[in-house]
Amino acid sequence: MDSVKIKTIQEFLIYQEALKRKTPEKVLIVSNATCGRAHGSLALVDKLKELWEKKALKGKAHLRFTGCLGYCDCEPLVIVRPSGFSYPRPSPEDLEEIIDESLIGGKPVERLFLKDPASGEVYHTENEIPFYKQQKMLIFGDNFELDPTSLEDYICLGGYSSLVKALTQMKPGEIIEEITKSGLRGRGGAGFPTGPKWASCRKAEGKHKYVICNADEGDPGSYANRGLLEGNPHSCIEGMIIGAYAIGADEGYVYIRMEYPLAVELIEKAIHDCLSAGLLGNNILGTGFDFDIKITRGGGAYVCGESTALMASIEGRPGEPRAKHIHTVERGLWDSPSTLNNVETWANIPKIIQNGADWFTKIGTGDVSKSPWDGSKGTKIFSLVGNIHRSGLAEVPMGMTLREVIFDIGGGMKGGKRFKGVQTGGPSGGVLGEEHLDLQIDYELMAEAGSIMGSGGMIVMDENTCMVDLARYFMGFLMDESCGKCIPCREGITQIYQILDKICKGLGEPEDLELLKDLVEVLENAALCQLGLSAPNPILTTMKYFKEEYDAHIYEHVCPAGVCKALSASKVTALT
Amino acid sequence: MSERIGVYICHCGTNIANTVDITAVAEYARTLPEVAVVREYKYMCSDPGQEMIKKDIKNNNLTRVVVSSCSPLMHENTFRGAVEDAGLNRFLFQMSNIREQCSWVHGDRRKATEKAKRMIAGAVRRVRWHRELTGREVKVEQSAMVVGAGIAGIEAALRIAEANKKVYLVEKEPSIGGHMAMFDKTFPTLDCAACILTPKMVQIGQHHNIELLTYSEVEEVSGFVGNFNVKVRKKARYIDVEKCTGCGSCLERCPVKYKASDNGRPESEIEMTPEMKRRVDLIIDTHKHEKVPLPAIMNEINTDIGYLPRPALKYISQQFHIPLSFIYHIATFYTAFKLEPQGEHTIKVCLGTACYVRGAQRILEALEERLEIKAGETTPDLKFTLETVNCPGSCTMGPVVLLDDRYITLEPNKVDQLIKSCT
Repeated sequence: MDSVKIKTIQEFLIYQEALKRKTPEKVLIVSNATCGRAHGSLALVDKLKELWEKKALKGKAHLRFTGCLGYCDCEPLVIVRPSGFSYPRPSPEDLEEIIDESLIGGKPVERLFLKDPASGEVYHTENEIPFYKQQKMLIFGDNFELDPTSLEDYICLGGYSSLVKALTQMKPGEIIEEITKSGLRGRGGAGFPTGPKWASCRKAEGKHKYVICNADEGDPGSYANRGLLEGNPHSCIEGMIIGAYAIGADEGYVYIRMEYPLAVELIEKAIHDCLSAGLLGNNILGTGFDFDIKITRGGGAYVCGESTALMASIEGRPGEPRAKHIHTVERGLWDSPSTLNNVETWANIPKIIQNGADWFTKIGTGDVSKSPWDGSKGTKIFSLVGNIHRSGLAEVPMGMTLREVIFDIGGGMKGGKRFKGVQTGGPSGGVLGEEHLDLQIDYELMAEAGSIMGSGGMIVMDENTCMVDLARYFMGFLMDESCGKCIPCREGITQIYQILDKICKGLGEPEDLELLKDLVEVLENAALCQLGLSAPNPILTTMKYFKEEYDAHIYEHVCPAGVCKALSASKVTALT
Repeated sequence: MSERIGVYICHCGTNIANTVDITAVAEYARTLPEVAVVREYKYMCSDPGQEMIKKDIKNNNLTRVVVSSCSPLMHENTFRGAVEDAGLNRFLFQMSNIREQCSWVHGDRRKATEKAKRMIAGAVRRVRWHRELTGREVKVEQSAMVVGAGIAGIEAALRIAEANKKVYLVEKEPSIGGHMAMFDKTFPTLDCAACILTPKMVQIGQHHNIELLTYSEVEEVSGFVGNFNVKVRKKARYIDVEKCTGCGSCLERCPVKYKASDNGRPESEIEMTPEMKRRVDLIIDTHKHEKVPLPAIMNEINTDIGYLPRPALKYISQQFHIPLSFIYHIATFYTAFKLEPQGEHTIKVCLGTACYVRGAQRILEALEERLEIKAGETTPDLKFTLETVNCPGSCTMGPVVLLDDRYITLEPNKVDQLIKSCT
């Protein structure tokens, strides 16, 4: 982008209008983010640039390289507009035909269409694709409409209009009230209502205040944040600027895990572009509001996803959590009031400001007119993975059932296997079984069942997953990632792991189950931070819902799933 | 001057008499030098027995007494008392135990009798050298010093302090706790060492009866039991122990550059090469004015050189006046930092949940077997580094394997092929 410096609100509006007029009707979209690149999208990019030259398509049709389009099994996905014809993973040689037939000619190329892995049927357009059909893309939909490296694309789509509205038409208190009324709750997993959090931070005393974006996304199996950052980094930035204005912060940080190199690159560019354009820095759009964002990269520590550990890490210290007697909204980064929110939470802000709280409350569960705690509103992006037919990132309305997500969107179990369990919330969450398939996606309902909504990981497992082994896996993970500061976590998790390891090796005894319960109780009551406090969830849920599996390991020395090598029986014991 | 020794041999009913020939022993005793009187009686410890001794002392001017009977534990006091009553110093007395140490442990009469004779001969020979002793009472200083504040010293100090005596606890290290503070678990209970030790350490600090002298050594001890004088050297410190709260902030600002031990590493590792120093200086220059320079510098060195060489970290410690221990804390906390040179190729296997349920563990094991290293290690020829990663967020592509940060598909039986293709 040529560095256009936008000095006033007026200039911005004129600029946005001009961009809107320039959008051509014919568009060829190719997803070129991490999953796309892993499957050869860069070769498609090169070939397309070549073909664009060759066919002199500049000005006649628009070539757009996007970020993640959600249906990761099919990436790179090529979509032609306005027809909507969608071609999963075409080879470079197919591209010319797609351009000639579909883009220019508006006709389908039958042989390249998507054959659904679940039903075997062929689907033509993006609207028909089963994976997308049941989703409600309030946030993620924009990924299709913009190039993540282009600030212009974002502005053209309406980006930063919410910022303008906030800066010109709303007072900070009003912004906070709107967010509170919307019922938006933290999408990082804890589900703390965003509005009240901002209100506390605004009230807190401090010369400097900070807004922080938690892009550490440490939960294995969860990559919704990556999808957002690689697809639409500006949505997060805009949210942060609005939040900073509402709270009174002058500096922001994005803490992003080092395992997401492309996302880091894209958010860096986005921030740089904003600075050049006058959307970040001093005197934003001439309003006198100063705000800048810096990036800190993670160092490969899961515990740094915890708010106090994350802030310690930004300060250059080891990421060891502290007890939260004083919350970070009062004393956080460098002892100053700080608001930490997840990427997805920030990405929701511009939409809510633009469309109003009522638009948001229409979707989801409960009634938040009295308090945001009384419902789960809006949508949540899940990384739907595991032994299902269709996997990827799915944005679903709160209140949708697990069954609908797993079977309607995910296409059900692969390879004719039976559904056994679904894991949500990463190592802080639990495993829910068949009896929970009709559970609605809702913060409280999921917590009641023993799991948590979490940051979005939803891993579906079939009969070939051993739940005892899975519990052991989670404990091994937490054992590695524990910071080591408090004894319940450092020692407790190690002991739990050793007991589970013993059970998986066929040396388990009945007393072990009692011992596990005791250890779990200590963790629940005495651990310093959430890592330790929620470590029991995988154990408790698997022991409760898959008790027969634990019993089989201990009493019969058999692993029904056939996973634990020491115990694999040659015949599979029926689980019903 | 010659002594006049009285020898008294007890039958102890049949306990001694059944095995030892008392008459023969008595006859033998009469032949011993300086023996004035020899008597035998059924129960020497009885009143008549004791009277016998007392009368002889008075009437026969005895200067020493030997009683051959049972164990001193039983009746030494009895006979000493009798001797004293008769006006002779109680310590001019010797027992010889021909019961527990002779008649009760031997069956052979002849041998037992011979043994008894020799035992008495010994006692007689000894007793003539005894001197008069007087007991006396001394005031005991109502305080104790415990040297060494490991767990044993700590426990001892606490017990004494609880008994309401003043305790001086001397420890040569700056901190108490000793070896136990360095252990993770105790044997055989597998208790957490720190959990047992630290409450006691706190008690030491808080107890009104305990005066703690750490970083101090005992120089000299004089005096006697109950009344010792001890000279203690207190080594110089840079903090006022009265004011110290143990907050640790001084560690972060410590200007003392301490030399970590070099653990016998090769010469080339001890100092930076000129090239390395040039690169590190450049990196420091780039970041030194940032708000939080240290992680950025460490990150760039890690990327640029491939790992964090020990001499480079020492250099940073000196340049920024940050303790090396703090830098190591950061370097070992974050898995991104490597403290060893990395291989030419890095293979990362994702062990996130989705990849795990898709068999990532088996791929890892196949790689570990083929490369003969464990995850986290580098092959000795520095060709391959094998690592696990906890979720690069590409779960639909699982099981995820990254070769030099490129995604590849890998099955356990294709591992050999992959390794060959890289070499």
